[in-house]
Amino acid sequence: MRKRSMLGLAVAVSTAVGFAVLLISFTTTDVRSPGIASRLLGGSVPASGAINVVATILLDFRAFDTLGEASVIFASVAAVGAVFAGSTMRRSDAGLSLLVRRSVAYLAALFLLFPIYIVFHGHLSPGGGFQGGVSLAVLLILLAVVFGTRRAAGAVGLKRLHDTESLSAAAFLAIGLIGVVQGVPYLANASAGFPRGQAGSLLSGGVIPLLNIVIGLKVASGLGSIIFDMLSMGGE
Amino acid sequence: MVQLAGYIAAAIVFGIGLFGVLTQRDMIKICVGLSVMDSALILAVVSFAYRPGGAAPIVDGSATVFVDPLPHALALTAIVIGAGVLSVALALAVVVYARHGTTDIAVVFRRRR
Repeated sequence: MRKRSMLGLAVAVSTAVGFAVLLISFTTTDVRSPGIASRLLGGSVPASGAINVVATILLDFRAFDTLGEASVIFASVAAVGAVFAGSTMRRSDAGLSLLVRRSVAYLAALFLLFPIYIVFHGHLSPGGGFQGGVSLAVLLILLAVVFGTRRAAGAVGLKRLHDTESLSAAAFLAIGLIGVVQGVPYLANASAGFPRGQAGSLLSGGVIPLLNIVIGLKVASGLGSIIFDMLSMGGE
Repeated sequence: MVQLAGYIAAAIVFGIGLFGVLTQRDMIKICVGLSVMDSALILAVVSFAYRPGGAAPIVDGSATVFVDPLPHALALTAIVIGAGVLSVALALAVVVYARHGTTDIAVVFRRRR
């Protein structure tokens, strides 16, 4: 046992040193092409009208990659659901006291504001569909902790979560097809006729806000299904 | 200098995560180690993006120097995939606990033999 942790320590330390040397060698020999960053920074607003360059990269230049990312979440939801299918574990499901339950019931609508802001301003400020969807899923955890898993799952509706996830995945695919119909690449933005808008205003960025909303719904419902699968262990 | 500190911190954090994965026998702790290694890689990727005095890549006219936006986009991908992997790993840990009453993989393997 002691010998094994010494061996583990040796492997970990040597890997860390190798990793550090590899990373530091990047600073001395500049492997990056200096043109890419400036091209991305300068090309974002002309290409999509969105001032958030990261959002433009994710949902315009590399939108197909983001579709793969969304399907990773879909795959992990499916894997967690399959692993938990049929197995249940007895655990207390009482929820918190009356005071907490009442105040959260009144405040829940207010807590929704933050994820909605993050999703709708994804093309203007740091944030977007993934981040907003995750904070929406955290709200579901709060509901499950405060009201107990069964009541929260009943109020949210597990079937509704699964339907939302499938529908938003289909919506992502359908939005991509708009470009193909017009003879431009799949998931094209401005060239598929989406308006760029006034850069910096809420209605700008063409397809980017639309995809952010779809991804936000997909991430929130996908992570929500994982959370309720884990909390209830598949059994109702 | 900041970039160098980021790289060294990433290497140290990666080593800590790897040590946890190699030496711990509890599945939850192995999952924590995987998550720590994942964070180290994201730290390294974000350090790649660093430019001295660079602002966040939001081109609203308030800054002229920006950090590299591409590593940020790739870091987002890495975070999403890390979360997916972690959720599946934790699900397996929960199932092992439900079947065997423990998440210690050494105990589980001894019983199966």
